[in-house]
Amino acid sequence: MHNLGFALEGAGQVLAVCLVLGAGLPALFALGVRALAYGTGGEPRVHTTGVSAPTPNRIGTTVAYACFTVVVLAVALGITFIVASGFGKALSFEHIYPTLVNKN
Amino acid sequence: MTQDFVILTLVIITALGFDFTNGFHDTANAMATSIATKALRPKTAVALSGILNLIGAFLSVEVALTVTNAVVKIQDKTGAPRAELLADGGTALLLIILAGLVGGIVWNLFTWLLGLPSSSSHALFGGLVGATIAGLGWAGVNWNGDGSKLDGVVGKVLLPAVLSPVIAGLVAAVGTWLIYQVTVGVAKRFTDQGFRWGQIGSASLVSLAHGTNDAQKTMGVITLALIASGHWSQTGAVPLWVKASCAVVIALGTYLGGWRIIRTLGKGLVDIAPPQGMAAQSAAAAVILASSHLGFALSTTHVATGSILGSGVGRRGAAVRWRLAGRMVGAWLITLPAAGFVGAAVWAAGNLIGGLGGAIAIFALLLVAAGGMYLWSRRTPVGHHNVNDEWDGAVSPAADPVPATTAG
Repeated sequence: MHNLGFALEGAGQVLAVCLVLGAGLPALFALGVRALAYGTGGEPRVHTTGVSAPTPNRIGTTVAYACFTVVVLAVALGITFIVASGFGKALSFEHIYPTLVNKN
Repeated sequence: MTQDFVILTLVIITALGFDFTNGFHDTANAMATSIATKALRPKTAVALSGILNLIGAFLSVEVALTVTNAVVKIQDKTGAPRAELLADGGTALLLIILAGLVGGIVWNLFTWLLGLPSSSSHALFGGLVGATIAGLGWAGVNWNGDGSKLDGVVGKVLLPAVLSPVIAGLVAAVGTWLIYQVTVGVAKRFTDQGFRWGQIGSASLVSLAHGTNDAQKTMGVITLALIASGHWSQTGAVPLWVKASCAVVIALGTYLGGWRIIRTLGKGLVDIAPPQGMAAQSAAAAVILASSHLGFALSTTHVATGSILGSGVGRRGAAVRWRLAGRMVGAWLITLPAAGFVGAAVWAAGNLIGGLGGAIAIFALLLVAAGGMYLWSRRTPVGHHNVNDEWDGAVSPAADPVPATTAG
C-alpha cells in the first residue's frame, strides 16, 4: 500500500501548514478584533452614538490594524496562489518571501 | 448531421448538466456558514459565490485534460483518448463518458433531495468508474496508481476522503478554540461585527478556489469527448467556448443555490456563531489551498463539512448533531459505489440498444430521473425564505407559512 504512505506523509504536511494558516490567522484576526474593541475605549456597556462616547485608544487601534494588515496580506497571497496556479505558475517559498516560479 | 455528432452533442449537454449540479451542490461549502450567521443575506451570498466561481473558472487557464486518469484508463498520459476506444468514430468512449456523467448527475440530485452534502467529484469519478467497469472490465479502472505517487481510486479518492475532513476538522477546532480564548470578555457587538467580515472574506476564498478546481473537471471531460470524436486535436488546450460555457454554467448552478444542502450544513450540524463560521471557513480555505499546492486531490465538500464539525467541537458548550454527521459520512461512503452502480447500469442499457438509439435512451432516462426528483423536491421546498428556520431534524422546515417561490 504505497498510497497510504504517500497520503499520511502528505496529510502531515497539510496539517502543519494549515494549523499556521487556517487556525493561526483567524486567531490573529481575533486579536485584531479584541484590540479594536480596546481601541474604541474598551467599554463593555452599550452606548448610543453621540452620548458620551468613550475616549479612543490609539494603541489599540494601531495594533488592530496591524493584525488586519497581516491577515489581508496572507489572504492576498492565497489569491495570488489560486491565480498563479491557473496560469501554470506556482508560489515558491525558497527565498522565504514568496516568489512566482514556473510549475514543473 | 451525422449520428456521431448527435451523440457528441448529448455528451456535451449532459456534461454541462453535471457542471450545473456541481455548482448548486457545492454552494453550501462556501456560503452555508455565512448564511446561517446572517453575515450575508441568502440571495447576496449565492450571488457572491456565483460571481467568484465564474471568475475562478476563467482563471483556470491551464486545465488538466487528464482529469479522468485519476480513476480510469480511457486516456493516455498526454490526455489523448486511448486508440483502441476510437474505432467506430469514438462512440465506445463517448458512451462510457455519457453513462459516467449520468451516474454522477443522478447521485448529485438524489443527495440534494435528501439535503446531504456529498462530494460532486466523487459522484463524477464514481459514475466514470462504474461505466468503465461495465464497458471495459475491472482492468479499465486505475485502482492503485503505479506506485510512484498518490494515484488511482485509492490514492486520489478514498484516502483523501478519509483524511481531509479530519484535518479540516482539527484545524477548525483549534482555530475556534483560539478565537474564543483571544476574545474572551470582549463585547458581542465587537466580535459579531468583526467576525462577520472575516467570515465573508474566508468564504469568498473558498468560492474562488472552488471555481478554479471544479469547473475544470467538466472542461476536461468535454474536451476529451471532442478529441475522441475528432472535433479537437490539441491535448494542451481547451476550446474557448468550452471554458466559457463551463464557467457560466457552474456559476449559474451556484447562484441557484442548493438551499436544501445549505440548510443542512449551516443549521443542521452545529448552531454556528460568527467566530465559529470564520474559523470553519478559514480552515477550509487553508486545507483546500495547501492541498492543491502540494498536489493532493480532495473534495471541497468533505473539507467544508469537516471544518464545520470542527468549529462545533472547538467551542465549549456547542452542540454537535452527531447523528446527522453520521448520516453524511454514510452518504460519502456510498457515493462512489452508488454513482458507479448507476453509471454501470446506464452503460449497460445504452450498450444493449446500441449506437445513437442507446445514447438517446440514456439521455431520456436522465431527463425522467431528474424531472422526477425535481417534482419530488417541490413537495417540501427549501428556498432562501426558509433556509434559516430553526432546525427540527428534517430537510425542509415543518411549518412553512411563507408561500414557496424559489426552487429548493
